[in-house]
Amino acid sequence: MSRHVKQRIVSWMALGCLLAVLCSFGMDASAQQRFPKPEFENGHTQPPTFTPAPRADFMEVVDVFVLILSLSVVTWLVLNKRSRKGVFWASIFSIFYFGFYREGCVCSVGSLQNVTLALFHTGYQIPYTVIAFFVIPLIYTLFFGRTFCAAVCPLGAIQDLVALKPYSLKSWVEKTLGLFPVVYLGLAILYAATATDFVICRYDPFIGIYRMEGSFNMLVLGAAFLLAGVFIARPYCRFFCPYGVLLNLASRVSRRHMTITPSTCIQCKLCEHSCPYGAIEKPVPAHTKEKRSGLVNNAIFLSLIIPVLILIGGYAGSLLHESLAKVNPTVRLAEQLLNEVETVDGIIPLEIEAFRSSGQSLESLYAEAAGIIQQFYIGGWILGGIVGLIFGITLARLTIYRYRKDYEPNKGRCLSCTRCMDFCPVEE
Amino acid sequence: MEAEEKKYNRREFVNTGIRFSIALGLGGVAALVAKRSAGGELVWQLDPSKCIQCGRCATSCVSSPSAVKCIHVYDMCGYCDLCGGYFRPGTKDLTTAAENQLCPTAAIKRSYIEEPFFEYSIDEDLCIGCGKCVKGCGAFGNGSLQLQVSHNICLNCNECAIARDCPTDAFSRVSSDKAYSFKGF
Amino acid sequence: MKMDLWKGIAILAAVFMLLVSLLTIVNYLQIQRADPIHTETINLLVDRLNQNPQDVSLRDQIRELDLLVRKAYFTNQWQVRTGAYLLLISLAVFIIAMQIVEGRKKPQPELETEETEGFLSIQKNTRRWVAVGGGVLVTTALLLTYLTHSELENRFELAAQGKPEVEKQLPAKDSVVVVQNKQADVSKQAEVVPVPEVLPNVEESKEVEKKPVEVQPKQIAENEKIEPESPKKTEPSKTISEQTLKNNFPSFRGYGGNGVSFKENLPLHWDGPSGENVLWKTEIPLHGYNSPIVWEDKVFLTGANDERQEVYCFNGNTGVLVWTAVIDNIPGSPAVSPEVTPDTGHAAPTMCTDGTHVYAIFSTGDVVALDMSGSIVWARNLGVPRNHYGHSSSLLTYEDKLLIQYDHSNEAKVMALNTQTGETLWSTARKVKVSWASPVLVNTGSQMELILNADPLVASYNPETGEELWQLKCMMGEVGPSVVYADGVVFAMNEYASLVAIQLGEQATILWEDDEFLSDVPSPVATDQYLFVATSYGVLVCYDAKTGEKYWEQEYDDGFYSSMMMNGDHIYLIDKRGITHIFKASNVFEEIAASPLGEAVYTTPAMGDKSIYIRAEKHLYRIGM
Repeated sequence: MSRHVKQRIVSWMALGCLLAVLCSFGMDASAQQRFPKPEFENGHTQPPTFTPAPRADFMEVVDVFVLILSLSVVTWLVLNKRSRKGVFWASIFSIFYFGFYREGCVCSVGSLQNVTLALFHTGYQIPYTVIAFFVIPLIYTLFFGRTFCAAVCPLGAIQDLVALKPYSLKSWVEKTLGLFPVVYLGLAILYAATATDFVICRYDPFIGIYRMEGSFNMLVLGAAFLLAGVFIARPYCRFFCPYGVLLNLASRVSRRHMTITPSTCIQCKLCEHSCPYGAIEKPVPAHTKEKRSGLVNNAIFLSLIIPVLILIGGYAGSLLHESLAKVNPTVRLAEQLLNEVETVDGIIPLEIEAFRSSGQSLESLYAEAAGIIQQFYIGGWILGGIVGLIFGITLARLTIYRYRKDYEPNKGRCLSCTRCMDFCPVEE
Repeated sequence: MEAEEKKYNRREFVNTGIRFSIALGLGGVAALVAKRSAGGELVWQLDPSKCIQCGRCATSCVSSPSAVKCIHVYDMCGYCDLCGGYFRPGTKDLTTAAENQLCPTAAIKRSYIEEPFFEYSIDEDLCIGCGKCVKGCGAFGNGSLQLQVSHNICLNCNECAIARDCPTDAFSRVSSDKAYSFKGF
Repeated sequence: MKMDLWKGIAILAAVFMLLVSLLTIVNYLQIQRADPIHTETINLLVDRLNQNPQDVSLRDQIRELDLLVRKAYFTNQWQVRTGAYLLLISLAVFIIAMQIVEGRKKPQPELETEETEGFLSIQKNTRRWVAVGGGVLVTTALLLTYLTHSELENRFELAAQGKPEVEKQLPAKDSVVVVQNKQADVSKQAEVVPVPEVLPNVEESKEVEKKPVEVQPKQIAENEKIEPESPKKTEPSKTISEQTLKNNFPSFRGYGGNGVSFKENLPLHWDGPSGENVLWKTEIPLHGYNSPIVWEDKVFLTGANDERQEVYCFNGNTGVLVWTAVIDNIPGSPAVSPEVTPDTGHAAPTMCTDGTHVYAIFSTGDVVALDMSGSIVWARNLGVPRNHYGHSSSLLTYEDKLLIQYDHSNEAKVMALNTQTGETLWSTARKVKVSWASPVLVNTGSQMELILNADPLVASYNPETGEELWQLKCMMGEVGPSVVYADGVVFAMNEYASLVAIQLGEQATILWEDDEFLSDVPSPVATDQYLFVATSYGVLVCYDAKTGEKYWEQEYDDGFYSSMMMNGDHIYLIDKRGITHIFKASNVFEEIAASPLGEAVYTTPAMGDKSIYIRAEKHLYRIGM
């Protein structure tokens, strides 16, 4: 049988090769193809090659304008109109425009990776629109607080809608978990800077919902976040969002942040539990001042250990560098080759096969992988150090006593959703 | 009261200082990055000369079916009767019967033009981007069937899921006015 | 009342959402299973149909199944999409209803009666937990590091500095150590045997093979005394003249590997079963598909399995196994032999010799140089070859260089080792896939060229420097046959690719191509006028070397794995059953003889003085009168 088949294949190939030879001897200089394109006698015209055009460039400019416009409108609604209803409808708009219409891409949260990558890799070309998506919300926040989070960010908007039965978390839970975004941001920057991966995009829980397709895990993650979001308001924004870290910092020094009361606080406590995000700071009575000396000691102690924390963090980060680097495809490939991984589940991994046929030498691959690991080593120190520093600062700040007379939004964590305003009985 | 006012003013002053330095830093970063910017929008492109038709385009894309489609470059086609992209290897009678077709979703249409030429066209709705036909055409024919990102379907994700999985690094972002790239043409 | 209505709607929407999501998940999983790309069943059925094309019911079954699978796939996809829309709508309804329900509730100021926790205690508590959080992070980092750290960077850097670890450990000095270590092994193994009589008979030969074990020790002792000093003494062999090399049979397919021998009065007729013209027959201990090589009165072979690698030296006059060298403990050699297919085995490459040493290579990538008495001069591992059948490319020598075609999927290169020390003299990376062909070294008029066949290149190298002289992209597939050269033309072929005649000159150009008869194992031979191709499915063809015109074809029942050897105008070709077909190298087919051996043969014969050495499945034969 095998001979039979072979002969047939041979003759089959023969036909092909014969024509190939014919063609190569033909004087067709333009394209060296095995089978020349025929000229039809019956006047058949060939159809055009189907190449649907990508989205028009100017539509991207429109996106930026819509971003600016909606930011302005939301800011106006928050600061001037103080209208919860307005903000609600604005978030519906964002869900539809940035969410379902633009399918959540590119979003400001993800854009920080593009900017990082562009900073570290001169070869990477970043579109202007992506820069705009990164910078504009930060600028707005710098002046007006996190109005971007309130209703423009599609990720925040959808969570805001489902925050139906929010339970307020204990302050220490909020603070402790609130440090995770820093770690996440650090990782995202590290991976983007080493051109390894865009982790934020990869683990974006809501993009699957906006696209109405995606991997099973992605959709399950999205559903889980939404479900959790019913009881713990905006879990992604508060405990994961890396862009939120930047916004948080910018918002702290914002020029005109929203206030709970339109004029003076009468300390009626009505708003005390109105914030689903635990961002309202209660007044701190003056009599707590008494223990101040102990606090000062604490503060000194803590500021002394900040360098120690930076070192510990940096060291831990540097230890981790290898585990972190293994996400990088080049490192993974080099490791497989070095460990002589022959097959994975009985199949030679395509990457290995592709590498072998690429003609790149093993040595240069190893050198490249070693270089990447070295980058991760340095990055690990920096990442760990910064995380350590932020832990230190957080601890230090927790020892500082700050007198507060009124109920005020925490400028860093407040998402300007304006829910609290409805609870304030004070008229302008 | 006055002291408090003063304190408030001082804080406001510091805040303003920080605010402007952040704004300045941000502007600096933006300017630096913008200098490297390509300007216009970028789209994902599959380089057919690197493509090995591993089949991951069909499975890795966030869209289903994949945004990567087989696109027929008619200018390169030899209009062969025995099409390596259409028929399973070893097919004897060159008919459109299911057992002869290579395409798992029967997305390639074969139509008779004149002796001995046949035209092959791709039904983009059925194509799942598995690349089987591309492999066949490349091996035995002119290579006029090529995998490309079809930009009416591509969502232009910030991080292309196929690019991440591509074993030969065939995906890159290119300026949207050069969205398609065909090998040998 | 209205409140209840909205509440009801919300509950309804929630239940609906749950149901739809369940259904969608089920559907989603189905899609994963009903993936049309991996319909093994259909592929299987099509294979079966190809075997009996007349089976109409099978054909119909395929068509039905194909339709079913595709329908299922697209329906499923439609269902998932619809499910997603339904989900979204119900989610929207749910949210609207709940917003209304919640929005209508009057805000209840929750005035706490208890004094709230003191500001300080809150801060203290928070501090503690932040510290705990940090601690957890650091501990996780430490734990992860402890569990996964593997010094990757250092290992990469080491590996990147080139030199697979093996090479670093094996400079010239160490080889002396190896020799001495080896000596013990050799003494254990070497079966040096007094010369028994010629064995015309099969039965007798067996007895002789058993005898030697008892007889040997003396000679070994002598060997040992000489050996230890020998490494230094093995001076660079005064370049052995071409004539000497031609008079012997130093490598696969003869001198240069070109399929030509230069002997006279070779036997034409023999009969293995009856013993006619069989000078002797000796059992080969371990199996191997390598072919014999001959130097003066010594015949060399290798044999290996997944545990042992051995080199054998036979006395050409008597057939006695003179010595056996066990090749093990080579630095860098893998603990477990790479997997090979039984049709290639662990000892497929043929040895070669330059008259001073003999060289052998195995599936593990172990290369060894032995002197004529079986002591190891040097040995090294070239890096375990990734080759799904097993390494099979044979060795060649050129002056003081051992030439190795090492085209594997992990690394494709051609290299030259110093025959005295084993050091790499040059190594040239090649952009090719795995190749099973062997190199051919020929003088193309102006210079010596080392010509290799692989997918996709037929390429030539300067054996002195490794510099590529020319290349032509014209091959594909799993290349088995080696090239052959005659009168300025190189012939290369592979099954499923084509037969290409390459005219050398200022530029290598394709002279002619054909693809009617292609070989996947045996290599061709050529004269100035003719090219002879034997295929593994049993067809023998003669072409005009310059035009590609086919003169004749002859079909045999048994296929050929053995490569042809040309001596004068006679061509020797052994089929898989062991019958040697001897025919005239001419444009008219004329079979001179067909001599059976009575044992399967897959290797290429070696031509000796008035005799032929044939390695059959289990035995080595010397044929002659």
